[in-house]
Amino acid sequence: MLDFLQAVLDGMLFGATYALIGIGFTLVFGVMHKINMAYAAASIGGAYCGLLILQVMAGASPWLVFLCAFASGGLIGYLVYLACFHFIPLSSPLATLMSTVGMLLLIDEIIVHATEGRALGYPAVFDDVMLRAGEFSLRGDLLLVFGVSVLCMAVLLFLLYKTRLGLATRAVSQQPVAAQLCGIRVTRVNAVTFVITGLLGGIAGAMIGASVGALSPLLTVPLTVKGLIVTVIGGLGSIPGAIVAGLLVGAFENAFQVLRGVTERDLYVMLLLFAFLIFRPGGLFAPKGGGG
Amino acid sequence: MLELQQASRHFGGVRAVDALDLKVGESEIVGLIGPNGSGKSTTVNLVTGLFPPTSGRILYRGQDLAGVPVHRRLGLGIARTFQSIRLFGHLTVWQNLWVAQNSPEDRARKGFFPRWLGGSAGVRGEIGELLEFAGLAHKQDELAANLAFGEQRRLEVARALATRPKLLLLDEPAAGMNAEEVGQLRERILKLRGRGVTILLVEHVMELVMGVTDRIAVLNFGQKIAEGTPAAIQADPVVRRAYLGGEAA
Amino acid sequence: MDFYYGMAQIVGVHTLLGLSAYIVLLTGQVSLAQAGFFAIGAYAAGMLTVLAGWHLVPALGVGGLAGAVTACAVGFPALRVKGLMLVIATLAFGEGVRIFFFNFDYQIARGDITIGPLGGEGFRQIRFFPENGWTTAEVMFFIWVFVIIVMLVLWWFDRSRYGAVLRAVGEDEVAAQSVGINLTAVKVSSMTIGGAIAGLGGGLYAHYTTHIEHSSFNVLVATFAIAYPIVGGLSNVLGTLLAVIFVQVFLVEGLRFLGDWRNLLFGALIVLAMNLRPHGLLDAQALARVRRLFGKDRGA
Repeated sequence: MLDFLQAVLDGMLFGATYALIGIGFTLVFGVMHKINMAYAAASIGGAYCGLLILQVMAGASPWLVFLCAFASGGLIGYLVYLACFHFIPLSSPLATLMSTVGMLLLIDEIIVHATEGRALGYPAVFDDVMLRAGEFSLRGDLLLVFGVSVLCMAVLLFLLYKTRLGLATRAVSQQPVAAQLCGIRVTRVNAVTFVITGLLGGIAGAMIGASVGALSPLLTVPLTVKGLIVTVIGGLGSIPGAIVAGLLVGAFENAFQVLRGVTERDLYVMLLLFAFLIFRPGGLFAPKGGGG
Repeated sequence: MLELQQASRHFGGVRAVDALDLKVGESEIVGLIGPNGSGKSTTVNLVTGLFPPTSGRILYRGQDLAGVPVHRRLGLGIARTFQSIRLFGHLTVWQNLWVAQNSPEDRARKGFFPRWLGGSAGVRGEIGELLEFAGLAHKQDELAANLAFGEQRRLEVARALATRPKLLLLDEPAAGMNAEEVGQLRERILKLRGRGVTILLVEHVMELVMGVTDRIAVLNFGQKIAEGTPAAIQADPVVRRAYLGGEAA
Repeated sequence: MDFYYGMAQIVGVHTLLGLSAYIVLLTGQVSLAQAGFFAIGAYAAGMLTVLAGWHLVPALGVGGLAGAVTACAVGFPALRVKGLMLVIATLAFGEGVRIFFFNFDYQIARGDITIGPLGGEGFRQIRFFPENGWTTAEVMFFIWVFVIIVMLVLWWFDRSRYGAVLRAVGEDEVAAQSVGINLTAVKVSSMTIGGAIAGLGGGLYAHYTTHIEHSSFNVLVATFAIAYPIVGGLSNVLGTLLAVIFVQVFLVEGLRFLGDWRNLLFGALIVLAMNLRPHGLLDAQALARVRRLFGKDRGA
């Protein structure tokens, strides 16, 4: 029983990364009413780019790697925006959806080729630290992952609710035409949204790498699926929803890993999604503003 | 034919329609007017079943419509046009009419396979007639999205007719039309009555409403504030006040 | 020559995959589940010929049926889920099917070896064609008979009232309802037909590759399924065929120049195609132009 609860706790801490990915999906959906299918792949891509700094500066601190992943994520996010959303008319939803799927495949293949399909080790911090809270142990690296993710969420919420950029973003998500008429440059808001979610994604990817200890191109599709599941369970367009759902999915996933083993674990996460779709298709929280 | 008994529809705190009593007799043409936001479109949506009334009843030929889904109401003979045109833009004029032939008479006439998978030869006559009525015979292969605005409105009415309605709800069919087009619309509505169709006309364009209806009901803030012949309504001070001192459209 | 026959086999099966998504897309439902129905058809048909000794044709029939039944079962809950949520739900379903087959064992002894699906190892030795002496050319023709039949059926649908009703639903559900179209019947029927086509395609796939495993039915395949009709344009079944040829030829040509990197092309190709022709290679405008060229009568 204790092992089970420990697994749930670990899962929840790890789930913070899922929350970040879920936020990325949900934010783009909230602002543009589109799903960026390439998001999780771009996040992993950003994490890989973080490793590039080790080519330049062997033995660099893991924090530098994370920082590089953070920045790369933003850059890749902007590139995805250009390739999939800037030129394609937004009135062709199938075309934008398809192009993000194309980007997902492209990024995936680039990673496979750049790394020759092998997994790469990822620096971890505090992985030898173990805190004790009563009967439970809290892994240091997982605590870091959780902490960094929470910090990012806090900064994002601050951006959205306390800055003019955030105000513009929320305006565009509710009424794009009216926002334009008020002088808000919608294309700029969209591009910035992609950059910001890209930055978040880069950190999420780096944190996943840090807690697992390695990165592999096999992560992209499962992460995409899980990220989307988190978004749907949380409610499309709702950031608090994505946060709660991310932690929930992380905990759930680990719980079933203990109960049924690794190969069947993902099946249960799917079942969780289907349960929500049947009983609560709106997700945990109603979408913010003009969602859905 | 149609009777609303104390029908209400609330959206949260907003009383879009409030305890409305309205009767439309067979082969009548009844107008429903009122300032913007007075609940006219909501009334149409209630009758067609887009959402249920918060309270009250809607009776159609004596039958309570509660729980009857939208597509089934059509089978009963209720059809509508939309305020904002909702044609199938990527289908041709012909196809827009073809897909609308879902009345019980059409279902009964042909077998399942001929109706769904057969060619269009069997219905050429009826659709041709609808095209004539709408004045669109020469444009039958044109994509609906490419039609001029007036033509689109005519197609919308023709499409509603394709469902062989007994009660037709017209939601602001004259919006954006010039005087000549309004005159043609008036002729067409009268022809519809001649074919045995009962009509509830929601409209802002007063020339049309006054010129074609038998009776008019006036809504304001979801409530009926007046009802009577066109002449009586035009003279009614309550109505004039509701329109804030100006004739609409 | 065998190389080209093999190429034609791939194009044929992929066309079936694309067509299964095409008919569902007409109703406005973007389904990433077609790869799942494809997988179910593949395993079902394979198991019938290998484990139960059936002839291929009835096995394919059952494969198609299995795809249809599953699709019908998916079609009903899919009604409750709108737009982009449906994409996610069908993606999850497809992945769920894949994970199911990853864990699926059904082996029987045949002499001193065991045959049948074995979890992650997959399902090997689906040898109906080799065991019955079919040449590559014969297999190709066999596959294409089915492809042409399906294309003719769908082309017939497109000219009939059913096709117009499908597209009406895809265009505007509220308007469709208000002219008396039964949305449930239309959407579920199109999903079911799509499932049947995918199941049939899967059965054919299993037999010409002789070895299937869970990774043969992954997100990439689900993507191919909707990519073909979207890139090809939804106005006409030929668009899907065109897209399959376009993509596969590029991939094959890419093999010549880029070797191992040709998979990169697929993603890049889609992104490029969507930017240059958002409504597909053969969209309504292009189709109208082609029709005028041939002086054909449109619509009715």
